[in-house]
Amino acid sequence: MIFLRRRLPLLITMITGLLFAGQYYVPHPSSELLLTSATKWLQIIGGFALVLGITSLFHQHAVKIRRQEAGWGYSFVLYAGVFVTVAAGIFARGKESFEGAMTGFGWVYSFMLVPLQGTMFAILAFFIASAAYRSFRARSREAAVLLVAAVIVMMGRVPLGEYLMPLSGDVSQWILNVLNASVRRAILIGVSLGAIALSLKIIFGVERSYLGGGKE
Amino acid sequence: MKAFLNILNVNAFTAFIFLAGISSYSLAGAALPAPVELQVIDTPNDGGGSLTAIWAPSPADTADAQYQVLLGEAGTDPASLKVIAEFPANARYVKDAKGAWWTRPAERSWHHYVIRNGKGVDLKDGTLYAVTVAMRRGEERVVGPLLQATPSPNWFNWSQVNNLILALGFGALVFYTISHAKRNNIFLRRIPGLDAVDEAIGRATELGKPILYLTGAHDMGDPSTIAAAVILGRVAKRTAAYETELMVPHREPITMAVCQEITKQAYLEAGKPDLFKEDSNFFITSDQFSYTAAVDGIMLRKKPAANFFMGSYFAESLLLTETGASTGAIQIAGTDSDHQLPFFVTTCDYTLIGEELYAASAYLSKEPVQIGTLRGQDMGKAVILSVILIGTLLATVGVATGGSWPQLFLDFFKDLK
Amino acid sequence: MTLSERMLKIDRRIIFLVIGLCTLLPLLYPVGLPIKISPEVRSIYDYIESLPERSVFLLSIDFDPASKPELHPQAIALLRHAFRKNLRVVAMTLWVSGTGMADQLLTQVAKEMGKEDGKDYVFLGWSSGGTAVIINMGQDLYKAFPSDYGGKATKGIPVLEGVLSLKDVAYAISLGAGNPGVEAWYVFGKDKYKFELGGGCTGVIAPGLYPLLRSGQINGLIGGLRGAAEYESLVGHKGRAVAGMDAQSATHFAIIVLVAMCNLFYFSLRQQQGRSRELPVKRGH
Repeated sequence: MIFLRRRLPLLITMITGLLFAGQYYVPHPSSELLLTSATKWLQIIGGFALVLGITSLFHQHAVKIRRQEAGWGYSFVLYAGVFVTVAAGIFARGKESFEGAMTGFGWVYSFMLVPLQGTMFAILAFFIASAAYRSFRARSREAAVLLVAAVIVMMGRVPLGEYLMPLSGDVSQWILNVLNASVRRAILIGVSLGAIALSLKIIFGVERSYLGGGKE
Repeated sequence: MKAFLNILNVNAFTAFIFLAGISSYSLAGAALPAPVELQVIDTPNDGGGSLTAIWAPSPADTADAQYQVLLGEAGTDPASLKVIAEFPANARYVKDAKGAWWTRPAERSWHHYVIRNGKGVDLKDGTLYAVTVAMRRGEERVVGPLLQATPSPNWFNWSQVNNLILALGFGALVFYTISHAKRNNIFLRRIPGLDAVDEAIGRATELGKPILYLTGAHDMGDPSTIAAAVILGRVAKRTAAYETELMVPHREPITMAVCQEITKQAYLEAGKPDLFKEDSNFFITSDQFSYTAAVDGIMLRKKPAANFFMGSYFAESLLLTETGASTGAIQIAGTDSDHQLPFFVTTCDYTLIGEELYAASAYLSKEPVQIGTLRGQDMGKAVILSVILIGTLLATVGVATGGSWPQLFLDFFKDLK
Repeated sequence: MTLSERMLKIDRRIIFLVIGLCTLLPLLYPVGLPIKISPEVRSIYDYIESLPERSVFLLSIDFDPASKPELHPQAIALLRHAFRKNLRVVAMTLWVSGTGMADQLLTQVAKEMGKEDGKDYVFLGWSSGGTAVIINMGQDLYKAFPSDYGGKATKGIPVLEGVLSLKDVAYAISLGAGNPGVEAWYVFGKDKYKFELGGGCTGVIAPGLYPLLRSGQINGLIGGLRGAAEYESLVGHKGRAVAGMDAQSATHFAIIVLVAMCNLFYFSLRQQQGRSRELPVKRGH
């Protein structure tokens, strides 16, 4: 059992990790073919993972309905939404329009998904304003510098700001291209080194927490 | 005196003929020279389907002359070779090609042309081809020797050997520092966000409210999600000890399955296996805003006292943290998504920036493996900083002196495929 | 509670109302201020201008309806430009929830510009796998997309003549709202298959892509609604992005004023608290 739960996954991880790390340095077409095959398998496994996720979702809401927990009516809405959308999609063969006419699936997409997603994203504009009002206070020197830079970039990125203060456009470009780019690079280098180190530990079995279970 | 002047006349006349001869070579074009020392080889370090022609520079390499590259199958009539490329004679040098000094096929001043598939060229691996280079000026044309070569794929890209050495070097450094950490104590600086983890869990316990833990938008293949899962193990151990409710909504089914195992193990290690709930880790949906709406709903209904945002996030970050802030929860974030950092820093009490997220699992666990890795990363950063400083200096010296020797060092750190 | 304390604890809904009005009013009563073109947007425009007719232009519409306000105008402006230059447009998407929207937008612009499906453009649709799709397209486009979105076999379509893989693409642009997006197209596309790559993205992601822009990994960047407005101005067809800039100007200024006010109240409160701490000492004299 230990072999199946621990040793075998670690062995598979090591072999495939080293294989695909090495694949990067091999230009031979068979290496590219290996990568293409592996990516196709990833797509297939991803499909199975979706089944796992949906099963978990249905189970969780079924329990909620059975126990009549707070908000259990919405679980019915979830079931109805899933079945209606899947039925509409199957009936329309996955197409949003057919010969210029909108299908039922297209109606669900255009009049439910698009406005709902747009609404959620639009909330960000309001939340940014309230977060800025609450947090953009010059409590310290660093906070003051952040505040000044934010104001300059906010002015420089809109026509009204450039009209009132022409220099703000050039200064905000400089802030983005020089200060921002250099700092992002620094964070990127640090994060990349961290990712490489973590990947090496996983490949060589030093890091095993992703498998679950305790230390041996 | 007369004899001397006669000699001068003769010498002047000879000199005039000589000079006229040279200038007539360059102006009117005496016989065009054929490309010299022409070589045709299978292009190295590639996946096949390509040949490379290299030849020596010539005094006739001027803008008014052209080189033509001719290609055909071996054994066919040389007159039927097809012109597949034509360019000015003062172009296409080895020094202009993007390549490392250790994979250069010839001297920097030599001409270099790579014949690749596409646009009327279809090279098949294993097939013998005839290639030559001709020089043309106006109507005049001279063809070089006909050479044969076979394109074939290579098993190793030597242009990337620097990348491999650096990767292996960094890997070796990390494993060395891990073994060093197992034998010695290594100092770790305090990360305020992590000190707040205990405070947050303690506060939730006092208020009798649950803890909300999010693992981010990416799947288990992403280092940030793995780091988030590792930290979840530590947080779950503490919530088990304090008997505080833990809620972990997921966007990804595989991550959910892994985190379930991690949480179960944490409760076991804390000695409270009976307190573990199967549905503490639950899947909501993969869709970004549907997930956000669901989590916002959980925050507003259940009002957790502490929210942890660990992993990678996108536009949903502000929607999550601002809603959490409105419920009065203490919020701790840790992300490598640098584009969301401003939102986390603004709305959370503590933020772990970039690799501090990876450092967090080391700090919480105090395991030599984790701490040794951190030390290895820090040393890697020190090496990069040194390379940047030395490289900038050498590049400046190279530009100032016009020398190309700094490239010996600089090429080693370039991405040259 | 003093005025400063009350103002610092103001109900968020008042702020939401202010922002709502600042967004709505300029959309109803536009002003139309001039827009300065940034070098990163101009370089994409110039590159497309330099492409010969019938070059293959790949547009990857990697966003969903949530990012439509910022990226939809970018896509429309780019498609108008590409069709005007008589380029062969190959469109696709790596985001499943953006498929319908991508198809609608391509059909709409193509109809407007008098272009024919199959001859001047093709919409490949969506294929699962994210970055795996890019790798597969780099090897064999027809294996990655055996049929287009309408179900027609991709092999034999006139617009794809001579195109075997990503190596035959003259220019690719990814309009990305996240992952997979511009970075994925660079790492798994341009870095391996060596085609020229440009990027378009939401305003939030744009600062993070400047390192790629500065190092030449992408040759241009259209960032957010501002970038879309700049591109619309360059193409000479002002649309929703230009119209939205007035609303964005007003909103930015509203936030600046709010931040200035909050700092004013914050410092005023600190001063009051400082004075009230000193008072007991003074009374002692």
